[in-house]
Amino acid sequence: MNDNEKLMRAIFDAVDDINERLPDARKLDHSRDTVLFGESGNLDSLGLVHLIVAVEQRIEDTLGVAISLADEKAMSQRTSPFRTIGTLADYAIRLVEERSRG
Amino acid sequence: MFIDFMLETFAVNRHEDAIIWKGRGYSYQWLLDRIRHWQAEIRAQGIAPGTVTTLEADFSPNAIALFLALVQDACIVVPLTSSVEAEKRQRRQIAQTEVSFVIDPDDRVQPRPTGQTASHDLYRELRRRGHPGLVIFTSGSTGNSKAVVHDLVPILQRFAKPARPFRGITFMFYDHIAGVNTLFRLLASGGCMVTVQERTPDTVLSAVEEHRVGLLPVTPTFVNLLLISEAYKRHDLSSLEILSYGSEPMPQSTLRRIHELLPNTRLVQLYGLSEVGILRSKPKSSDSLWIKVGGEGLATRVVDGMLQVKVSTTMLGYLNATAPFTEDGWYKTGDAVEVDGDYIRVLGRKSELINVGGEKVYPAEVESVVQELDNVRDVTIHGEKNPITGQIVCAKVTLIEDEDQQAFARRLKRFCGERLEPYKVPVKVRLVAGQLHSERFKKRK
Repeated sequence: MNDNEKLMRAIFDAVDDINERLPDARKLDHSRDTVLFGESGNLDSLGLVHLIVAVEQRIEDTLGVAISLADEKAMSQRTSPFRTIGTLADYAIRLVEERSRG
Repeated sequence: MFIDFMLETFAVNRHEDAIIWKGRGYSYQWLLDRIRHWQAEIRAQGIAPGTVTTLEADFSPNAIALFLALVQDACIVVPLTSSVEAEKRQRRQIAQTEVSFVIDPDDRVQPRPTGQTASHDLYRELRRRGHPGLVIFTSGSTGNSKAVVHDLVPILQRFAKPARPFRGITFMFYDHIAGVNTLFRLLASGGCMVTVQERTPDTVLSAVEEHRVGLLPVTPTFVNLLLISEAYKRHDLSSLEILSYGSEPMPQSTLRRIHELLPNTRLVQLYGLSEVGILRSKPKSSDSLWIKVGGEGLATRVVDGMLQVKVSTTMLGYLNATAPFTEDGWYKTGDAVEVDGDYIRVLGRKSELINVGGEKVYPAEVESVVQELDNVRDVTIHGEKNPITGQIVCAKVTLIEDEDQQAFARRLKRFCGERLEPYKVPVKVRLVAGQLHSERFKKRK
């Protein structure tokens, strides 16, 4: 597995963590298109916070890189990184790359 | 003259043990003799009433005698114990110590003048009244310790009425308001102070067994440790009539368990603060966190969910901070409470409250739930900043046996999700090694 695949794996693991406590109708699919938050999103703000922190912890465990997905920077992106699993993954990949480049 | 009523009780009980220290008994006669010795010494050293004296010692027979002698001679006493070794210098400066008494581990004493002069307005007020004073330090939520100045006369007055003599463990030292309370409570009634060299569950409980202790004043954190260590299985606790707890919120789960284990022991919550002393209160029952606070010279009111009190044992003020009094003289405790008729339940310090998207979370409530989870040794809950919800609830946990971090976090969230509202479920879970409590057996945040 390359880093991007590992990262997707980490995100889906975090999704599983969250799904465990979501009702069936709101469980998140393992797909880049799954809407997280906002219109037709499955998570409320707390659910989103839980997912983000879970993703951060999983990435740190698998890639050994500590990133902060939810901060001022994330909140000021033109397109929200928290809209879908895909946008979250792209944003996480960017942060991990920035961190690795130092 | 200030402790004359105590000295009379001492004389009546002269053949009884006043103090147990390192396994040996010291009688009330011994204590009376030592107090007289120290009074003579204080005068020989030219230490006048109103002198600010630090007493640098852990609880020892001589330290207790010297403490009482200084009170009798209207000195202002600043107890400093070895638990604050690193801060002693700073504290002597804040207190403007004029004379410092250092008692070494073998109970030998050396007085040292410091060359400082104590001229703080609060000290002037004590001298004007001709009353003995007490300075204790509070840790405070911001980390800076504040020096609380008390007039000891109203505090002593509470112990003037005869009370049942108890043999009690001195869990807190006299640099803590609860320790001062225990000291006066035990000695003024002719009871016995059983001192312990270590505050581990087994040491404390073996002292209870060996000395047939009736009164055990502790903190909720210590009760948690006692449950986890199962020390109660190894010692005979049948002498224990009262277990009192205070100084931080008690988790309901802990209270329930200790009540099951000690059904014949009365569990009493003591509500108090360094700034106002220990207030008289009555619990609804042994397994209840609801208390009725009130009694002679004590009034309470709740403003915006926060407890305010007016009581004769309130401090004169801080040496190094502004005191939070209302314009009409009520002390703002900073404790959030729930009210039910005459009863209140202390939720916790407002400053520890976690605000998750406008919803309030009291760490104690979440701690109480996590504490019930299998394999949890200890837990502290705190808030961390989060751009989405303002703050998030975070847990630091020590485990009994090793467990995978992710698996544990999952288990914890599931467990809490079934028992708490969603915003109270910890978002971050960290496993840590070591102790989660401070020298004073309160949770570290």
